[in-house]
Amino acid sequence: MEGIGYVIGVVLPYAAVGVCLAGSLYKISFWARAPKHLHWELFPYPRTTAGKLEEMVVEVLTLRSLYTYNRRLWLPSLLMHWGIYLLALWLLVLVTGLLSAGFAGMLGTLGGILAGAGSLWLIFRRTGGDLRQLSSPVEYLNLLLIFLLSFGGLITGFLGSTAEVREYLLGILTFSPRVPTNPLFLWEILLGELFLIYLPFGRMFHFAAKYFSYHRVKWGEAD
Amino acid sequence: MRKVFDDYRALSDEMLRSNEVRVPHFLDAMKKSLDRRSNWTFWLPYVLSLDVCMKCGTCAEVCPVYISSGRKEIYHPAVRSELIRKVYRRYFTWPGRLFPGLVGAEDLTEDKLDALAESIYRCTVCRRCAYVCPLAIDNGLIVREARKIFDAIGIAPDELKEKGTRKQLEMGNATGTPTAAFLDIIEFLEEEIEDQRGYKIKIPVDKKGAEYLVMHNAGDYLAFAETVMGAAEIFHAAGVDWTLNSPDTGINDAVNYGVFFSDIEFTEVLKAQIKTIVNLGVKTLVVGECGHAFEAFKYLMLRLIPPSERPFEVKSILELIDEWIREGRIKVDPEKNPEPVTYHDSCKLGRLGGLYEEPRRILKACCKDFREMEPNREMSYCCGGGSGFAIMTKGDFLKFRMETYGKIKAEQLKATGASIVALACSNCKGQFREIINYYKLPLRFAGISELVANALVR
Ligand code: SF4
Ligand code: SF4
Repeated sequence: MEGIGYVIGVVLPYAAVGVCLAGSLYKISFWARAPKHLHWELFPYPRTTAGKLEEMVVEVLTLRSLYTYNRRLWLPSLLMHWGIYLLALWLLVLVTGLLSAGFAGMLGTLGGILAGAGSLWLIFRRTGGDLRQLSSPVEYLNLLLIFLLSFGGLITGFLGSTAEVREYLLGILTFSPRVPTNPLFLWEILLGELFLIYLPFGRMFHFAAKYFSYHRVKWGEAD
Repeated sequence: MRKVFDDYRALSDEMLRSNEVRVPHFLDAMKKSLDRRSNWTFWLPYVLSLDVCMKCGTCAEVCPVYISSGRKEIYHPAVRSELIRKVYRRYFTWPGRLFPGLVGAEDLTEDKLDALAESIYRCTVCRRCAYVCPLAIDNGLIVREARKIFDAIGIAPDELKEKGTRKQLEMGNATGTPTAAFLDIIEFLEEEIEDQRGYKIKIPVDKKGAEYLVMHNAGDYLAFAETVMGAAEIFHAAGVDWTLNSPDTGINDAVNYGVFFSDIEFTEVLKAQIKTIVNLGVKTLVVGECGHAFEAFKYLMLRLIPPSERPFEVKSILELIDEWIREGRIKVDPEKNPEPVTYHDSCKLGRLGGLYEEPRRILKACCKDFREMEPNREMSYCCGGGSGFAIMTKGDFLKFRMETYGKIKAEQLKATGASIVALACSNCKGQFREIINYYKLPLRFAGISELVANALVR
């Protein structure tokens, strides 16, 4: 157990972050190096930077396309996305120590609940109707990963145990890693590592792809 | 005909050549399509669309074919794209090679290839789905890329290729009208105008160095002559220096069916058109009432042909008429078109072309009772004539057009209570002519130019 704990708690975090960064860079530069394609925009589209920003922010925060055209998926999807946003915020607040520990714990717990509930709801939505025909196993696995990550974070207490988790994360960040004292955390950390390694190569990387499909394609591009 | 996908056939058995081995050739062509250099024209939107669809099904909720078919799985936009993605993953990605079942990758068989070839002719690349997709994934583009791959292995509807781009390059127009016959038509139209309006106008042909060269969809001379006459009356009334051109000068047809199925054919036709325009030495090319021709000249041309090789301006006839009415260069009286008129946004002019206000300003100026059709503008439903469908009728294909897109359009038309539907695209006219017949609708269609000409105050 000691050895495994060391691998998961001390070695893998760096490997996972490394793969995630390298993979993201690879993917992004794969798209960024694309030759300028023929004009293929869709009208109307926002022409100013402020307009583009506004549309993007509204879409990211409210999932307006789903709300307008695919209401059945909107709420579960919104829950999951907001859960993920909150978890990202939780991580940020936690390591920077900007806000109180209690607040961070609240963010983490709430994020975990929303992401867990949303992903579970989406899994059920996928098992019926048109979406079932459309889904391959990997669609379910993606959702399952998010569910396990958030649910695991909640039951192991990872998302709530602010001080301990903070200490661990800071250890990693300052290159003085230590195996966390609570062995349950190792499960959560392992899932997090899997998530990071997988992220740039799976469809969950759509948030980055979206930049290109909107800015370069749908909204056109200055000549 | 043999059933390969559904009850319809867009491609004949001779074209499909199902007894031959085609899969390896298809895969070769697909490999090329995935190469960023050889397919630079659409590489980015193509790979994005192949890679990041989240399978949320939002596209299906707005697809006219899917909705009107009673939500048949085979017409689901993302299910269709998956037919291509499965092949893509299986042969061109590592996860698909290693864990095909897990990621949804499948071997391509000759039978699947037949079905795929037909399925990509059940979508008009109207891109309504791309407009609403949360990720801006473009099922229409995937269809068009697949059409390109099939064309590369010699499978393309003969209406679009043999009797389309090839004929246009050979004869100067896709209708196959030689110069003598073309000049006869022009003379006939001049007489028609005189009969109808009681005044004579001269329609200039092949005039070098004119300010405006008006290039119509050549099909309009045969099928929608009112549009051609209307345009002539408008240009005459505006008192500008303009001309039409005959096949003697090269290409006298604005269409470019390459837009629908092949970048190679597209480029060849476009270059022949540009050569004609440059030889005539005109200042502005005016694209007649043709949606895809506008897309081709206004947008697709820009990064394909360097500016120095296209020393002319491009305008849609709608932009020009709109300008002239606003400047007071032509005067119109809405009382002359008293019937209720509605407008159908052609996908190529609207969603893909951005011309929403121009036709509306024109119609409001020229018609007493203008009514919107719902939904309209960027959410306008494709009429079903797009991407070549308007000229494809074999194997019950007309029935497909009527029972899907046509059904929705007929309902929309009825709801407006209009007695005229104004159209600014030749393919739309071809489709609406059939819709009105098929559903026995109590209205007629008219080109914008026709309505403007009718409202002219002289
Ligand atoms: S194409 Fe877009 S709307 Fe359709 S399933 Fe994929 S992500 Fe959803
Ligand atoms: S492009 Fe139009 S016809 Fe084709 S799948 Fe999308 S919405 Fe349907």
